[in-house]
Amino acid sequence: MLKGSLRKLLNALLLMIAVLVLNFTLIHIAPGDPVEALVGEMGGATPELIAELRSRFGLDQPLYVQLGTYLGRIAQGDFGHSLYYDQPVTALIAERIGPTILLVTTALFSAIALGTVLGVFSAQRRRSVLSHLVTVISLAGFSAPVFWVGIMLILLLSVSVPLLPISGMSSADSAASGLFYILDVLHHLVLPALTLALIYLAFYSRLSRASMLEVLGSDYIRTARAKGLPKRMVIYKHALRNAILPVVTFAGLQFGQVISGAVLVETVFAWPGLGTLAFESILRRDTPTLLGILFFSAVMVVVMNLVTDVVYRRVDPRIKAR
Amino acid sequence: MTGKKLLSVRNLEITFRTEGEDIPVVRDLSFDLDHGDTLGIVGESGCGKSITALSLLGLVPSPPGRISKGQILFEGEDLVQAGERRLNQVRGNDISMVFQEPMTSLNPVYTIGEQIAETARVHFGLSPAKAWARAVEMLDLVGIPSPDTRAHDFPHQLSGGMRQRVMIAIALVCEPKLLIADEPTTALDVTVQAQVFDLFQELKQKIGAAIILITHDIGVVAQMTNRVMVMYAGRKIEEGPVAEFIRDPRHPYTRGLVSCIPRLRLPPDDHPAPLFEIPGVVPSPWELNRPGCAFAPRCARAMARCRTENPVLAPLGDGRAAACWLETEAAA
Ligand SMILES: Nc1ncnc2c1ncn2[C@@H]1O[C@H](COP(=O)(O)OP(=O)(O)OP(=O)(O)O)[C@@H](O)[C@H]1O
Ligand SMILES: [Mg+2]
Repeated sequence: MLKGSLRKLLNALLLMIAVLVLNFTLIHIAPGDPVEALVGEMGGATPELIAELRSRFGLDQPLYVQLGTYLGRIAQGDFGHSLYYDQPVTALIAERIGPTILLVTTALFSAIALGTVLGVFSAQRRRSVLSHLVTVISLAGFSAPVFWVGIMLILLLSVSVPLLPISGMSSADSAASGLFYILDVLHHLVLPALTLALIYLAFYSRLSRASMLEVLGSDYIRTARAKGLPKRMVIYKHALRNAILPVVTFAGLQFGQVISGAVLVETVFAWPGLGTLAFESILRRDTPTLLGILFFSAVMVVVMNLVTDVVYRRVDPRIKAR
Repeated sequence: MTGKKLLSVRNLEITFRTEGEDIPVVRDLSFDLDHGDTLGIVGESGCGKSITALSLLGLVPSPPGRISKGQILFEGEDLVQAGERRLNQVRGNDISMVFQEPMTSLNPVYTIGEQIAETARVHFGLSPAKAWARAVEMLDLVGIPSPDTRAHDFPHQLSGGMRQRVMIAIALVCEPKLLIADEPTTALDVTVQAQVFDLFQELKQKIGAAIILITHDIGVVAQMTNRVMVMYAGRKIEEGPVAEFIRDPRHPYTRGLVSCIPRLRLPPDDHPAPLFEIPGVVPSPWELNRPGCAFAPRCARAMARCRTENPVLAPLGDGRAAACWLETEAAA
């Protein structure tokens, strides 16, 4: 058991190093020069200044030396300085992670809860209105691009009926604090969270419906019915516990992918999270920031995989045996 | 019990909806069972044995299946008309069933103790502690070693034979009046099969439940049951006490079936008889809408009448009956 955990941690560590090397190499192979981007934003600079900037950022060194320096610094917890904001990358990420986690957890958890309920009910009545509704939602959710859904919701809920703010995380003009600040943030949260949740909902309602259908047709459900258990026990005790397994797996995976999941929605709604930061860093060729975010999101994936593993062990006794 | 039959199935018809049409897979089936009686049901694959068994518990998969005609009288009460709530009182309590597939019939995420105990909780209203104690007792009864530790095992930790013992424990925990075993050993190794049948024999004495044993194996029927019913293509074609049935089968199909039993004990100088095989295959349900005996195309002794008229079940005395024109005409 302990040995297994140790091996898993070691694997995770190796994976992280591989991710670092790969990200670093890919970004440096990609066209575009951070110094030129910076100089462009400054409105031009002398060749001397450009050369100075290059040597200050170490960009005049050969790639492998840069990589070595980079890995060495990361080992000490130093992710470097943003080329755009005058801030360490770690501080930037720390500042932006909160809004992203707020957005994604809200969306993901409401989608999982509602999606599972929809899936479970519609699996029991395959010809019901609800069942068809699930099919429509999941088809729409699968085929509609996130930004389109976002824009449609804006048109519907902030333009036609001005209920909700379009962008940002709080009202710029308000100096609200305490409870009012929280309410203001929640007010801003509704649209982006709803957009993201609709996409996830499509996925989870379909996943849990398919999973439930499969379980309901299994031999052990027939056994449960033959024992004379009441229907609610057959469904909620015997079927749901099995049908939920794939939902747990995917929830873990997707939670690990918070940042990539949030990029588009955050951008549409100017939500000040990591997704927006990542998007802007790409445009600004802010390599250290981008690398930091990529590394951070890889860490999230790995950590969430480990967590999912632990949760899964709790739900499915067959895993423990191995 | 006021002289009432334990079970009396009357003119049962079960259909499955296929391409918009209700195709009968069990037709005009009637049979009776007394308290403590044992009945074997034999017949080729697909003849409707399992679906008949499931219908007794109201578990015909629906849709597409449904009981379209007939009655299932259990101690005089028609279960075909019973609602789901009433059926749940009967299932697992008065009538219980052991299935063919021990590997998949137990829920993988609950301990075997829990899966036995919950049945006792639901039907007997036992407290969790008492129900657990009862589960351990049942595991002991079905011959599982160190039952109090084993009760905490999950199904995947047990072998197929052990799992089938657990299924039997679940079926018996509420002391049913009728136990249906649908090919309970088909999925098991031969040696394990023998052990499970020994267990059945032993329990038959102890519990006094009536048993319906479904099997392909006439040899098993001969050992385990008093009476036998032979099904072919959804109908009963012969029935009677086991001994007479084996000695003198009447329907040409059952004659074939009985002569298919390999005879192992031979006199030393005797050569083994060649194994007999019934030519042809069972017709599929939708081929059966034509008139005549379903077995006629495979029957060496089929007459003109056999292809136009479906034979009626004719009583032959001693509680025997066969559905064959040869018998009807011999009697006339
Ligand atoms: N879910 C179903 N949908 C459609 N037809 C079905 C279904 N279940 C059973 N049938 C049909 O009902 C008939 C009887 O099936 P059943 O399972 O009772 O056979 P069986 O005698 O138990 O066979 P076996 O010995 O192989 O177990 C078969 O012809 C089968 O095609
Ligand atoms: Mg069967």
